[in-house]
Amino acid sequence: MSDQFGIKVEEIFDTMEERFRPEGAEGVDASYGYDIQGVGKWKLTVKDGQMTIEEADDLGDCVAVTITDADTFVGVNIGQVDAMKAFNSGKFKVDGDLGALGQTAKMFTKFVSGKKEMTVGDFIQDMFATLEERFQPKNAEGLDVTITYDIQGDGGGCWTATIKDGTCVLKEERIEKPTVRLEVGAADWVDVMLGKVDAMTLLSAGKAAIEGDSSLALKLGEIFSKYIAPGEMAEPEQELVRLKKVISVNHRFATGPVMGKFLQGLKNKKIIANKCPECGRLQLPAREVCAICRVRVPGVVEVGPKGHITINDIAYYASPDPLTGETRETPYGSVNILLDGCKGNETFWHLLRRDQIFEVEESWNEKKGTRVRPVWAENRVGSIKDILYFEIDK
Amino acid sequence: MAKKKKNRNVAIVGVGQTQYSSHREDVNQPEMIHEAVSLALADAGITIDDVDAIVHGNMELFEMVHQPDLWHMLGTGGYGKDSFRITTGGTTGATIACAADNLVASEMYDVVMAVGFEKLQEGHTTGGITNMADPLWSRQLQTGALTGSTGYKMEKEFGEERANRAAMMYRIMMDKHACLNHNSHRSFGLDFDQMDDLMENSPRLVGNLRLIHMCSQSDGCCVVIFASEKKAKKMAKPPVWVRDHITVHREETFNIFGFDENYPVPMTHRFAAEQLFARNGIDSPVDYFDVFEMYDPSGWWGADWMKEFFLFENDEHLKLIEDKEIMIDGKMPINPSGGVTAANPIGATALVRVAEAALQVRGDAGGHQIPRDVNHALASGFGGTMWTVLMMLERELNW
Amino acid sequence: MGKRVAICALEQVKNEPDIWYQRFQGMLLDCLEPILEKTGVTFDMDKGIRNVITCSDDVFDARTISDSGVTDVVGAHFRGEEKMAQDSINGLGYAMACILSGHDDVVLYMGHCKESQTESRYMNTNLAYDPFYMRPLGIDFLSANAFQARAYMEKAGIDDDHLAEIVVRSRKNAAKNPYARENEMVSGDQVKKSPYLADPIRELHFYPVTDWAFGMLLCSEERAKEFCDNPVWLTGYGSCMDSYFPGDRDIISNFALKNAASRAYSMAGVKNPQKEIDLFELADQSAYQLPMWAEGVGIVDEYTGGKWIEEGGPDKSQVNLSGGMLNGNPVMLGGVARVAEAWYQLRGEAGDRQIKKPKKALAHGVTGAMGQHHGVVILEK
Repeated sequence: MSDQFGIKVEEIFDTMEERFRPEGAEGVDASYGYDIQGVGKWKLTVKDGQMTIEEADDLGDCVAVTITDADTFVGVNIGQVDAMKAFNSGKFKVDGDLGALGQTAKMFTKFVSGKKEMTVGDFIQDMFATLEERFQPKNAEGLDVTITYDIQGDGGGCWTATIKDGTCVLKEERIEKPTVRLEVGAADWVDVMLGKVDAMTLLSAGKAAIEGDSSLALKLGEIFSKYIAPGEMAEPEQELVRLKKVISVNHRFATGPVMGKFLQGLKNKKIIANKCPECGRLQLPAREVCAICRVRVPGVVEVGPKGHITINDIAYYASPDPLTGETRETPYGSVNILLDGCKGNETFWHLLRRDQIFEVEESWNEKKGTRVRPVWAENRVGSIKDILYFEIDK
Repeated sequence: MAKKKKNRNVAIVGVGQTQYSSHREDVNQPEMIHEAVSLALADAGITIDDVDAIVHGNMELFEMVHQPDLWHMLGTGGYGKDSFRITTGGTTGATIACAADNLVASEMYDVVMAVGFEKLQEGHTTGGITNMADPLWSRQLQTGALTGSTGYKMEKEFGEERANRAAMMYRIMMDKHACLNHNSHRSFGLDFDQMDDLMENSPRLVGNLRLIHMCSQSDGCCVVIFASEKKAKKMAKPPVWVRDHITVHREETFNIFGFDENYPVPMTHRFAAEQLFARNGIDSPVDYFDVFEMYDPSGWWGADWMKEFFLFENDEHLKLIEDKEIMIDGKMPINPSGGVTAANPIGATALVRVAEAALQVRGDAGGHQIPRDVNHALASGFGGTMWTVLMMLERELNW
Repeated sequence: MGKRVAICALEQVKNEPDIWYQRFQGMLLDCLEPILEKTGVTFDMDKGIRNVITCSDDVFDARTISDSGVTDVVGAHFRGEEKMAQDSINGLGYAMACILSGHDDVVLYMGHCKESQTESRYMNTNLAYDPFYMRPLGIDFLSANAFQARAYMEKAGIDDDHLAEIVVRSRKNAAKNPYARENEMVSGDQVKKSPYLADPIRELHFYPVTDWAFGMLLCSEERAKEFCDNPVWLTGYGSCMDSYFPGDRDIISNFALKNAASRAYSMAGVKNPQKEIDLFELADQSAYQLPMWAEGVGIVDEYTGGKWIEEGGPDKSQVNLSGGMLNGNPVMLGGVARVAEAWYQLRGEAGDRQIKKPKKALAHGVTGAMGQHHGVVILEK
């Protein structure tokens, strides 16, 4: 049971079958475990577009196990707790493949608690039962009025709200001369309250009538906060429009004579640097100037192609390539290599062969890292990608 | 180096910040800016008519708007005013503070409003940062601002256990500060007893840089108003004086990964600190400053760069962390605002450091105010290829 | 005010349609080397350049933090660098502030832009418009200027013939300018037959795609003689922002330019521009802007632009002797290209374009379409 939200953890699992979306589970064949501390363990199995959910002690064969407490679990499921925040602060842990767990989001519609079919009469009763608590005194300053709701037809009734001295009292009664009287059919009024139709439309269509102070009637939306049906989350006040667009403009980049030589070198399986005439440092790739000495750097020097790794930055998170939109597979090794002929910080930046990323050693002072060599693409065009990656030089 | 004489004194007279968050979907860009502008004007007790010029900055490729100051003038109130737009990547916020200071000190303008802004949810941040790399070669290799190289270096220098603990302690202390700052985007309520767990279980990003160490991507706007001495002294709140500032950039390519002590890597952080402090006669920055709002994109960088900014040579920075002296009630409070891991609306972030430092000097920081007099404040900006901007603020005009 | 700042050196590459054979790094280096050589300035932290202002644009460079690519070549490694992200004319105002503030004695100012790089300038400038209303309508700096052109032309009595004359004159002047983009000479008829890009703007009425880069050295009055025998003095600067949505503006009022100009005049102590200023360089991205900006800076009575053209006004007031932006300068750099002409003229180095002993010049730049943001500088001998 989540004390915080008044919802049983079991409800989330019990409703999984009815919330299941087979289209979101296409191609999935896996089990997911849920270890809700102090409550129990469940296992969700998804295969061939079908699912089963059962209580289970052994979650060993699950591709990912979510470990969390009742409040956090319920809160995340009903959208009241930010999942990322819970994850970052350690309240929500995942043992196993985080990416795989992410897929389950597509497999279920959102959990909504206490969902039962309400009749028109149910809604009307609930609306008026909650009217007093929805009263907003700050928007009713100085008001001394009575409002009669004359709800017609099945499920209807007549209620009068008396607003005076910043308070609101509702009684199920009809009075002689209210400040304003609204007359409307029960089903229509429910639609208005649920936001499915607006009151002005009903008025214009002759389906509702106002007697008395009509300007007061227009203020009802401010005097009482919006009605929220049981189990529904509070909707935002206003529908926000979001515009999604990917923007793309093609560019043609000049390489110039110096970078041009570097890229041309790659085409010919050579790695080209240039050497500052003043301080002697090598720059990889070759560049127009030595930034330290502020002088033009003429000529080129061939280096490597082999060298040793100085650092192997293993990336577990890849960002999309802004040029192609693709994301590299993780983990991958982003390496700096001190190629033969280079010294100090004259390192070359590239990628390491994926199946070797946990095998190489890095440098520190005299200790040199693993020796590597480039693996060239068969079709080279004069791009940094003409080197596919570096691999251990065995 | 020789100190140049400032033409006239300049003070920060107003600060405005929006709530930093991951999704400000209830406002569009100029609307969000307007929030912060209104707050800053109210703070300074002036109206937009009193402002002579606007200085605007952000990293426009994140929102994919060309020349955004043209659209944003609807929120900045720049109509009819002189208007500058100066950007330098992550350091932008600090750059526009320096620019505002220059503009007012020059006597060309009396009151200048610096507007730093970013709405990162309108783009992809790490992709956007990767876009800074040279399209001919490094863009295909870069992964935003993420690297484990600093952690690697610190582990080698101080040992794996000590380095990791220091970075995590730093991170937790920043979170504790963030919990005191109602403007923060993220505050988790972390505790020191979670350290071992986080060090082991927080998902890795690159190397030993973990998710928990790293800053967020936030939406937000920060506005700081600068005024001439004469005008500042007439305004209600105590003015916070801008003493000096320095900007240090570095070459485009990272020639810094040799890890060989025979080839030390000069850091712009240290160079900026050395130059700035020397020309202002400050021998021991850690003794001089009462607060340091440092641009710390990750717990690792925050810990490492303390060494550079304070001009330490050994492990003094780790000791400050281990002894918790960088907390609000410590000897050398760092980021009472929570720093960059608490909120990172990139174009504004460096300006937020200046704004928060100013609030501390003024005694106005509310829940995260340092509990003693703050006379001398330092704020830093970071961005680009390891660039640094530093700004010094003073409570009294006595230097 | 009375305070002034010296421009000690100015170098540029030639404006070209497509500098495919160099990266912008190479172009900037070609500008910096002669500056260093002629002035002897160094990057010494005490006596030399310790702050560099650059000018470039992220969208046109297709690069986040477009200034990070120039750090090396402008000498900003372990020095300051700040990027002016509006038209370059404003960088002069900022450089002036840096020097007058006392923060820096010597400032290097360098800018670049390669319009040839992008597939479409229009797609780039379309991005200046808000994503909800104007952008989806497809408005860009060309079509927006077309609206202004139509409105202004109606009011100021300008027609296709006037525009043709402006273009012909621009090309004639540019032909005498060794740094100007080499364009073919055209006749009035050719201009009038050139296809419409956005009515009433024809292809030949709009500045062509151009690549360019420049460098300048500015310094305090006290130190000018260290670097240069005959500096040009920057004595006034003003800028002004108009409103954003075209519907909110009176698009032919020159509101922003009038204010920018008056601020610059005030700072420079200019009371009667027509009398006191010897040449005017106005950033005319499109032909109609020549008379319109001339009105904005106060040398032509409001809405009499048509008459001004007919009476040979531009020659009389010595406007755009360089050929103007209309002949071709990239976006962002139009302002400094105007300053360049003033530089040569004031120093007597303008060759075939030289006018007699000019003392004061006005240079102007514009950011955004329909002249939303203008910057004006006053330069003196």
